Amino acid sequence: MISITNANKAYTRHSKVLDDVNLEIEAGEFVSIVGQSGAGKTTLVKILIGEERLDSGEVVVGEWDITKISKREVPYLRRQIGVIFQDFKLLPKKTLAENVAFALEVSNSSATKIKKIVPSVMKIVGLEGKMNRYPHEVSGGEKQRAAIARALIHQPKILLADEPTGNLDALNANEIIDLLLRINKFGTTVILVTHNKEVVNHLNKRVITMEDGRIISDQKNGKYLL
Amino acid sequence: MLSLFRVIKFSLQDIGRNVWLSVATITILVLALLSINILLTVQVVGSNASQAIQEKIDISLYIKSDVPELQIKALEDKIRNLPRVKDVNYISQEQALQDFREKYENNQEVLSALKELGQNPLSPSLIIIPHDFSQANLLINELRVLDDPIIESRDFSNNTVVLSKIENITKRVSDVGLFIIAIFMLTGILVVYNTVRVAIYTHRQEIEIMRLVGASNAFIYWPHVFSAFIYSLLSVAIIILLFYPFLSLLQPYLEVFFVGYNVNILSYFFNNFIFIFGAQFLLVLFINVVASLFAVRRYAKV
Repeated sequence: MISITNANKAYTRHSKVLDDVNLEIEAGEFVSIVGQSGAGKTTLVKILIGEERLDSGEVVVGEWDITKISKREVPYLRRQIGVIFQDFKLLPKKTLAENVAFALEVSNSSATKIKKIVPSVMKIVGLEGKMNRYPHEVSGGEKQRAAIARALIHQPKILLADEPTGNLDALNANEIIDLLLRINKFGTTVILVTHNKEVVNHLNKRVITMEDGRIISDQKNGKYLL
Repeated sequence: MLSLFRVIKFSLQDIGRNVWLSVATITILVLALLSINILLTVQVVGSNASQAIQEKIDISLYIKSDVPELQIKALEDKIRNLPRVKDVNYISQEQALQDFREKYENNQEVLSALKELGQNPLSPSLIIIPHDFSQANLLINELRVLDDPIIESRDFSNNTVVLSKIENITKRVSDVGLFIIAIFMLTGILVVYNTVRVAIYTHRQEIEIMRLVGASNAFIYWPHVFSAFIYSLLSVAIIILLFYPFLSLLQPYLEVFFVGYNVNILSYFFNNFIFIFGAQFLLVLFINVVASLFAVRRYAKV
């Protein structure tokens, strides 16, 4: 599903954010990537969605060789990979449903398709009663659910979650992780980038630990090492 | 078609939901256009007034009273053929007397003095209108050396002073007006450019999100270009609605100030409506679109 080979990336001459990273993630896996700030986790996410380019190495996502992707192809790649972030990245002037529909609108989906899919995805994430609320009118957990709904709208094979519980309390964080587990059960590969030790230990899934741009540990049913 | 519809929808949604930002942007555009139009008005009034005054300026040659009309006509033709002459009007002795009487119809002392004389004391004259006002002095020099025995006297000594004064005023009005318009245009362009950039700066998060959810360039750029079109259209429409009442109020004052001269600012703006406001619309649209494209490009690099 995802194959990263000899990946190197540096923003300055003296510090590498990715240092010869090699990684294979199979379809349907739930993988947590953990590490201290500056370990290279977020850079890895940015590489996977085409926001950053590798200095050397190769990244293949499904059938896409991301290292050779053109700028024009980036929007199409992003429709194949769902992404959620710590700060939700919802459009404040659009309702939750409009935020979710937006991802379909910008990919030229028909109005009929949008009307059909958006309510069903909103139902999956438990927001069926709050579709017409604006982001500032709902809780952090609900914002993240809306972001997940938007990420799922294209039925992606991969869902990247970059610190999705970073802005949430324990209760909301657990709900979001449960939702990610459910999504994973449907067959979507989930890559969770997190600092949250409790979440990782509770999951009992594959854990990749990064430090100074390198992978220092890759455990099948791992725990938070740092 | 679907994309176009959505681009328009996103744009209108954005204008409506950021209504105060939209109002602020349009206000800046209207103020920039207002300053340009006020200066244009000053420029038009100035040049119209000086042109009207110029047309009233003439140079007169007085002819001896007993000269047959045939000889006067020959001189008239000779002068008319001079390259710097636009027109020559022959005022006969009778016509001169009639004009004099009309001029002093309310001044009984002058009229009775004329009656006392018992004969027409006025000479026939040729009134010469120069082709190019700025070269009137050269024409005067030519007329000074024009040698013809039928010429009794020449009257252009006072005109040269008036001519050069008017010429100076016209040139100064024109130069200063253009300079001020150029400065205001430049200021207006910079203000509008930066206003649009600030407006788009507030959309930077939205642009970033659009990129992240897989929006193509068309969906990122075109709503802003369409918004720029709407802002330009509304600002020009508002300036038209504001400016015509202002001109209607101004016109009576101009008529009083330039009494006897044809200075009609309202009809100037009506006659040149498409050119004046079309050019302003295109200019505002161009600045808006360029600023939008540059600003969006900056935030769309995600």
